[in-house]
Amino acid sequence: MNPIIDSPKPRTNSNKRELLFTFQSIIVTGLLAFTAIAFFFYFDLTIVKGIKIIFAPFLSVVPLLFILSILRDLRKGFKEGNYTKDEIIRFCLITVGITIAFTGITFLLAKIEALEILLAAIMAILSAVFFLRSKIKDILGMSIITGIAEGIIVYMIFLF
Amino acid sequence: MKLKQVNTAFIITIGVSVVVFVYLVFLGYDEIKTLKDVIKIIASILFPIPMLFFVRFLLIEHFLPKNTDEYKRKNQKPAILLLIVTMIISVGSMQLIEYFTQQKLEDHLIFAHLINSTTISSYVLNYILYNNLKVNGILSGVLLSLAIHVFFITS
Repeated sequence: MNPIIDSPKPRTNSNKRELLFTFQSIIVTGLLAFTAIAFFFYFDLTIVKGIKIIFAPFLSVVPLLFILSILRDLRKGFKEGNYTKDEIIRFCLITVGITIAFTGITFLLAKIEALEILLAAIMAILSAVFFLRSKIKDILGMSIITGIAEGIIVYMIFLF
Repeated sequence: MKLKQVNTAFIITIGVSVVVFVYLVFLGYDEIKTLKDVIKIIASILFPIPMLFFVRFLLIEHFLPKNTDEYKRKNQKPAILLLIVTMIISVGSMQLIEYFTQQKLEDHLIFAHLINSTTISSYVLNYILYNNLKVNGILSGVLLSLAIHVFFITS
């Protein structure tokens, strides 16, 4: 019928899923940076102790690198076929739950008054995202990352 | 060809969102007063994108039906019906909400942005990837009713 459409696919579904997962984690990283900048300018945060701001990222980045180096992959990777209805419902519920949780966490972030603590908190979340990105390559990781992104956005729209 | 479509889908979705964003910002320029408004508008534009990625992640298989004459003929009537029904329902419900809360949609630009960007993004995604004519009808109805509401009904 149509030779162009029916040509063999060079890329598999799991590759496509991995690409989407990478995009999603890039979006979350951007959103977290956006949150930090927005809070910084809006609340006029001050740097209380200069030395702390240099060491804030190390607090979470060092454990992350250590864990990444010693841990093997937790999940087998992305599935090739379709997900069943039960799985879809379950992971959508997880996403909604994480969204609500992260709306609350962003609300708590807005209460922070010093820039170095905000930076440390954001770096901690970012490390968690990178951990999910590199070790839990699965639908679970995808739903958690989506939940984080949506939670931040929901806070920004409705509560900020 | 198919793969190319898949990859362009998201780029076009994001592109349309950005264009709509810039356009709306110019449109409602005098209503943006503080940094807070800007942040809220950016957030409402970004809102659909992670969700779209998630949906695409779940529904990776193609549901792209062959765009044949038969498929179109079969779905023409339900699609038109859904378009009209959705339009009437959306315009009516927006009128009701405005009547009951005594507030105008224009005073709450965030919600207009939110509905607009979500609908446009899913419209583009549906059009390129899934080509479901009934969903097309519903989304067109929502967009049309939003346009009618802003353009004709509120003065």
